[in-house]
Amino acid sequence: MSIFEYNGSAVVAMVGKNCFAIASDRRLGVQLQTIGTDFQRVFKIHDKLYIGLSGLATDAQTLYQRLVFRHKLYQLREERDMKPETFASLVSALLYEKRFGPYFCQPVIAGLGENDEPFICTMDCIGAKELAKDFVVSGTASESLYGACESMYKPDMGPEELFETISQALRASVDRDCLSGWGGYVLVVTPTEVRESVIKGRMD
Amino acid sequence: MMKPDMSALETHFGAPAGEDCGLLFDVDDSSMPAMEFPNCPNFDRFQAKTKDMVKNKRGTTTLAFIFDRGVIVAADSRASMGGYISSQTVRKIIEINPYMLGTMAGGAADCQFWHRNLGTKCRLHELANKRRISVTGASKLLANILYSYRGMGLSIGTMIAGWDEKGPGLYYVDSEGARLKGNRFSVGSGSLYAYGILDEGYRFKMSIEEAGELARRAIYHATFRDGASGGCVSVYHVGPDGWTKLSGDDVGELHFQYYPVQKTPVEQEMVDASPSTA
Repeated sequence: MSIFEYNGSAVVAMVGKNCFAIASDRRLGVQLQTIGTDFQRVFKIHDKLYIGLSGLATDAQTLYQRLVFRHKLYQLREERDMKPETFASLVSALLYEKRFGPYFCQPVIAGLGENDEPFICTMDCIGAKELAKDFVVSGTASESLYGACESMYKPDMGPEELFETISQALRASVDRDCLSGWGGYVLVVTPTEVRESVIKGRMD
Repeated sequence: MMKPDMSALETHFGAPAGEDCGLLFDVDDSSMPAMEFPNCPNFDRFQAKTKDMVKNKRGTTTLAFIFDRGVIVAADSRASMGGYISSQTVRKIIEINPYMLGTMAGGAADCQFWHRNLGTKCRLHELANKRRISVTGASKLLANILYSYRGMGLSIGTMIAGWDEKGPGLYYVDSEGARLKGNRFSVGSGSLYAYGILDEGYRFKMSIEEAGELARRAIYHATFRDGASGGCVSVYHVGPDGWTKLSGDDVGELHFQYYPVQKTPVEQEMVDASPSTA
C-alpha cells in the first residue's frame, strides 16, 4: 500500500447556489486497522474558508497548523481575511516549496469569495491547482467519489439539497472503500450561516 | 501373487528443468485433478508472480468453535482487492455436504474450487464405503491435496467443521500444508479482533442462542476494527442432524443495535429572537 493509503481518507466539496458544502469521512487507521472514528479532516481557516486535507494524517495536521499560522500573519498585516483564490495560491506555493520531499496530502479548498461567490479547488501533493465549477474530490475513495458526484450533482442546488447530495455521494463512495468511512462530517456554508452535521454511516 | 499398486507413490510434480512444461500427468489419473501447467519460458517466475498476485488476499474474518451442543461457524462477507471493496455479499461459508461446512479465507477461486472438489471426494467415499466420511478424514483429504500444491501460490486458510460418529469435529487446514485439530479457531486479517471477543466470552456449556450471539458479536467487532472485513455476519450451527443457518445480519445495522446513538448535548444553538412586545 502506498503512503497515501496509510491512514485512509475521503474528502469532497461541492458548489451550490450561493453556498458550498465540504465533507469528509471520520476514520483514522493504520493500514487495515481502525484506530479512531472521530478524526477531523476539514479545518476552518476563517468563517468563509475551509480546507479539507486527505492523505497522510500527520502531514494533514502539520500542514493545517502552518496554514493557520500564515493566515493569522496575513490577517495582522492586511487587517482582513484572505480571499479563497489567494489562499489557494498560498497552499500551492507552500506545497511546491517541498517539491523534493513533499507533504503527502491532497488539499481540497472551499470558500465564499467576493460577492459571496462559492469557490472550490483541489491540488495534488506538490501544489498543482485544479479549479472546478461543480465538485472536487480527494482521498483513497476518490475514484468512487468521482463516479458518485458525477451522477448525483446538479448545478444551483440550495443548501438543504446540497447537504443531501453531498452526504449521499460520500456515503455511497466510502462504502466501496476499505480504508475510509466509519461515519461522515459535512459542513454547509452560506453567506449567513454555517451548518455542521455528523453523518451516520456503516461502521465496517 | 498380485503386485501391490504403487501408483500413489509416483510423483507427478516438478518437471526437470528444460522439459516441456505442458501436460504434466495423465488425464485419466483419478487421484489428482488434471491441471494443465502453462507453456511458458520461465515457470519459476510465473509461480512467483502468481503468489504475489494472491498474497495479500486474506482480507476476511472467519471463526469456528466447538461447544457442548455442536460447532458454531461464522464469517463476514466482504471481498477486497487492496483498498477497493469488490463485494459485500460473498458467501464465505461453503456447504460441503449437509453435515459439514468449510470456511473460506484467502483466494476466493482457490477456496471455492477445492471445497467443491472435497465435496465430490466425500460423496465418492460415502458411495464406496456405505458410510459418511468423518471430519478427520475429510480434512486429511483436503490437507494432502493442498500439501502437494505447496509453494505453487494457492492461498487457502480454511476450517472444516462437522458432526460425525465421534461427535463434533473442527480442523484448521491451510495452503502451507498445516492441519490442526482444535476447539476454537479464527482465520483472516480480522481474526485477532475476533479472538479478543471469542476468548473472553467462550464457555463450553452454552445454549445454541448464546453461542450464536457470541460468534456474531466477535465477527461484528472484527468488522469494526478491520478494514478488510465487513458486509454481513453469517452464523451457522452444526449439530447431530446437520447444519442450520442461525442468523445473517448486516453489520451496518448491527453496530447501531449494539451501540445506539446517544444524543449529545447541544453546545451552541441558534434560537429565534423572542418577538418584542411593544
